[in-house]
Amino acid sequence: MAETISTPIHRFDAAEKAGGLASYIADIGFDGMLVAKTFRSSRPRARIRSIYLPELPEGYTVVDRRDVPGKNRVHMIEDDWPFFAEDCVNHVGEPILLIVGPERAEVLRLLSLIRIEYEDLEPVFSIEESIARRDSPIYGERNLIAEYALERGDPDRAFEKAARIFEDEYRTGLQEHVYLEPQGVTAVYGGGRITVYGSMQCPFYVKSALEQAFGWEGDRIRVVQVVTGGGFGGKEDYPSILAGHAAFAAYKTGRPVQLLLERSEDICCTTKRHPSIIRHRTALDGNGRITAMDVHIMLDGGAYAGLSSVVLQRAMFMAAGVYSIPSVRVRGEVLATNHVPLGAFRGFGAPQALFAVEMHLQSIAERLGKEPLDYKMSHVLRKGNTTITGGCVHHEVKLPEMVGLAEAMSGYRNKRVLSDRGKDGALQGIGISLFFHGCAFTGSGERDKIRAVVKLRKDQEGKIDILVSNTDIGQGAQTTLRKIVARTLGISSRDVRYDNPDTDRVPDSGPTVASRTVIIVGSLLEQAARDMKVRWNEPGEIEVTKRYKQPDYMRWDQERFQGDAYPTYSWGVNVVEVKVDPITYEVKVTGVWGIYDVGTPIDVKVVQGQIEGGMTQGLGYATVEVLEARAGKLLQGNLTDYLIPTSMDFPRMEVRLVESSYKQGPFGAKCVGELPFLGAAPALAAAVQHALHTTINRIPVTPEYLMEEAAR
Amino acid sequence: MTIEFTLNGKKVAIHTNPLRRLLDVLRDDFHLTGVKEGCGEGECGACSVLVDGMLSNSCIVPVGTLQGTDVLTIEGFRGTERYRVLEEAFAEAGSVQCGFCTPGFIMAAEALLRTNPEPGEDEIREAISGNLCRCTGYHMIVEGITRASRRGAALWK
Amino acid sequence: MEVAYKPASLEEALNIVEERNAIPLAGGTDLMVHRRSWSGLPPRFEHPVVFIGHLDALIGIELEDGILSIGAANTLTSILEHREIPPLLRASIRQIAGPAIRNRATIGGNICNASPAADTLPAFYVLGAEAVLVSTAGTRVVPIEKFIEGPGKTCLRRGELLSRIRVPADRHDIWFFRKVGTRAAYSCSKLSLAAVAHTEKGLAAEVRLALGSIAPTVIRSREAEAFMRAKTAGEIDTHLPRILEYYDSLIDPIDDQRSSAAYRRDASLRLVRYFIRNILLPHIEGTM
Repeated sequence: MAETISTPIHRFDAAEKAGGLASYIADIGFDGMLVAKTFRSSRPRARIRSIYLPELPEGYTVVDRRDVPGKNRVHMIEDDWPFFAEDCVNHVGEPILLIVGPERAEVLRLLSLIRIEYEDLEPVFSIEESIARRDSPIYGERNLIAEYALERGDPDRAFEKAARIFEDEYRTGLQEHVYLEPQGVTAVYGGGRITVYGSMQCPFYVKSALEQAFGWEGDRIRVVQVVTGGGFGGKEDYPSILAGHAAFAAYKTGRPVQLLLERSEDICCTTKRHPSIIRHRTALDGNGRITAMDVHIMLDGGAYAGLSSVVLQRAMFMAAGVYSIPSVRVRGEVLATNHVPLGAFRGFGAPQALFAVEMHLQSIAERLGKEPLDYKMSHVLRKGNTTITGGCVHHEVKLPEMVGLAEAMSGYRNKRVLSDRGKDGALQGIGISLFFHGCAFTGSGERDKIRAVVKLRKDQEGKIDILVSNTDIGQGAQTTLRKIVARTLGISSRDVRYDNPDTDRVPDSGPTVASRTVIIVGSLLEQAARDMKVRWNEPGEIEVTKRYKQPDYMRWDQERFQGDAYPTYSWGVNVVEVKVDPITYEVKVTGVWGIYDVGTPIDVKVVQGQIEGGMTQGLGYATVEVLEARAGKLLQGNLTDYLIPTSMDFPRMEVRLVESSYKQGPFGAKCVGELPFLGAAPALAAAVQHALHTTINRIPVTPEYLMEEAAR
Repeated sequence: MTIEFTLNGKKVAIHTNPLRRLLDVLRDDFHLTGVKEGCGEGECGACSVLVDGMLSNSCIVPVGTLQGTDVLTIEGFRGTERYRVLEEAFAEAGSVQCGFCTPGFIMAAEALLRTNPEPGEDEIREAISGNLCRCTGYHMIVEGITRASRRGAALWK
Repeated sequence: MEVAYKPASLEEALNIVEERNAIPLAGGTDLMVHRRSWSGLPPRFEHPVVFIGHLDALIGIELEDGILSIGAANTLTSILEHREIPPLLRASIRQIAGPAIRNRATIGGNICNASPAADTLPAFYVLGAEAVLVSTAGTRVVPIEKFIEGPGKTCLRRGELLSRIRVPADRHDIWFFRKVGTRAAYSCSKLSLAAVAHTEKGLAAEVRLALGSIAPTVIRSREAEAFMRAKTAGEIDTHLPRILEYYDSLIDPIDDQRSSAAYRRDASLRLVRYFIRNILLPHIEGTM
């Protein structure tokens, strides 16, 4: 078989990682390095009346809001998130100050002596409470971190004329990333500059946050990513806070400062996935065809704005799922609560929205007495259709082919009608989900906010350097981007260098988020490589720069959310088979099938890894990953109590890719990082719904929830 | 307390608080940073080492219990032929993504193959059930261990 | 004053425990977690620790006169490897955590921790286990249900160590163990059921059933067990609601980070019913 771009190669970093040779931030020391630990709020909402600090021995320092040279606000979308609490704290775990010093035991002892006098204020702990408390808000004027509306067609008329109307409400819970490597950074101050090394996804986000925090003239901030042990979105925004803390400390003490989070601290105090309440109201005509959808999305945003407004946007653009709906109204709100701010996590609003719409269509079909798969397929988008935002489906939708494969591989249809009780008395069920993911930044983000720049350099010896700000966080960027460049140039990928990004060395090609690394940055690198190939025989060093240009076919109005929200989509179909124990209501997954259209896979093993990992994480979201907050504190605060899937939890998955090629993607690639997460939860919930003949409106689907439902 | 044990094939003697975690002694005193702290509570396996051939979470082993034992970390194992077979199989099977869990899985694989050179899938899954991975979904790691056991069969018999 | 002692003999260990009120540490898999401090720092203990995991007197498994004597410092893995271990106990141990924990965790630790969710306790209750306690003053033997006094509490006096667990090596016709945890491996128990029974002349000669994680300590219902003795299948089936009521009155669960009181009550009663109807009764004569 001829070798193609998709032919797998050994990952570049596999050997050093396997042998324990890769240096993560906790493995790196600096001469004279001090350690820092954060003192955090024990209250969800309170005014700080006084802070009692113990006497500090020589060499030990307190770092707090007074040590922020510039603005004590973490630059994100709004600038409302402080590095250190000022007069008030707004969530349990909010950083108030750091103790920094040479000996850990002493730092810990000093922390234990700190006393804060709080004046408790009335907190808000849920979406519903936040809405009820609009008249005495905790945030802004109405507890709203963000609020948007979009509309298409004539929903009012469609509801007026509807033959039937269905209403459902769905809830999704918190989720923690559990990247195996807890967060951490080390900051060094020297030569008038701050350098921050750390576990992160977006070095330039950290750099701009520090620039605002220091407020210095000139380029005095440098950020260097070190080998990062997983991110999943959790290291998109939060590292900026840690970097600020460590940097202020390094600046104040003149010594390198290491700030590493303990696991329980990471779970309690860093961003999580937004919990949601999503209400669907859907109008059907006399033939049972959907004529309008009215969707109300409410997300718990926690105490500060963070990235929640963009999470909400993506959730809204996914609200109608993969379906062609003539009239749609979507109302979205992010409500402020006194929880740790919610943030980016694989899917970024899409998992919540897709769970709701998939279960809603499932339930409508079942109430109409139709097979849900057929009902869904009769509404599926096709090339040329209009999207929820009035944009166009520019490319072929392979869902029919993918569904056919899914049915053949899983035996879905037979299993839907067969007797529901297995030989062991277990209740059997099977469910299917159809989903998609808009590749790269929402709307005009790539063109107007990120404006990615990549550089490709060829040195005197003919060795190539990839100069981008994108990070390998386990997803294989070190391998895929090298392959793209090498293949385009017709050289070995071993002759392509790609160091972990250092903001002193690389241009800003944008953050490593939104599944954009291959489709956007890889595409720019491909173009750069083509230019370089033409110039290959030029003497001396060659450097090619490429800047992002939005595809000509994309039209987007950010004010009205109208047009093409994304340049293209990757698509997925999941089938999940379950057995529910009729005694304990434990759900055992007995079969998992995933069929995907991600364009050309840049490396089939890398893509397989993303798919299997994403599906496992999605199944965890739907089952064992129970994360509950009581009075603003997480009940499951360590890995003993917050459980992620182990090797024993799910069976082998059967995965298939359909052939497809996206012209504007490198070698035809689209996006794959987040897509495989999205379909697992709705497919599993649909399977349980089938097994128990009950309605599943919530995830995670726990035995406790199922027993409650059965009792009703 | 003075504790004498064998570390990666060499006899060592340490004079230290016997309640210190083996993980800290390895990383801070011996600069063996291949052993990672993922949770500090014996739940994730990123700190896995072998003590007398038995898989152990070094984050919850007090060094005072190690007198006379044989401790093997990823650093001691990676020079062996068995390791090379595992590394190759892992690279081929796509078992490594962010890599933080990988040394722990390698040690778990070695512990398994020492006693069961030709494990079936269920046995592999059970043997690695105390090692968490968030990136791969485990199958590709199982595949890596399976391939290593087939290729390196003679090495573990 | 040392932070930790490594005695050369059990006698020396007992002196240290007596004199220093030292905290015994065998595997340390619970202690090292509960007492942990910041990364890089040793765990915090309010008294000196005495290592006992290496003491010969506390290791080893002997079968004598039909009694299995298991050393308290035996690791869970070493117990699993022993052929004479009753299958019920084996099943309980196999589902504890994962291989690395089982390689170091000891049976004595699991028992003396006295967690309401301790995985081995339900099995020990129904197998009629006895705890052998030693001190400088001598030895005493206590039935397991007297040894465990409450959550985290045992009847150990100052200066005493659990040295062995004695389990009758009886063969039971029927044994059953079910642990309900959140995930398939490495899960604290939400609830568990351990049961043994044997039949004589087609009737239940003895039924013993224990439930774990659903009350401050493991529960057995002597009334329910007495009721089932020597009854026909039909009789047991007819009176099933009454039998379940005996258990219902003893079940006293809580809401916690793992599960809810309502689920624990409901699921354990359903499991009891399942054991009786589907596992026990098929072995017993008399129409249902």
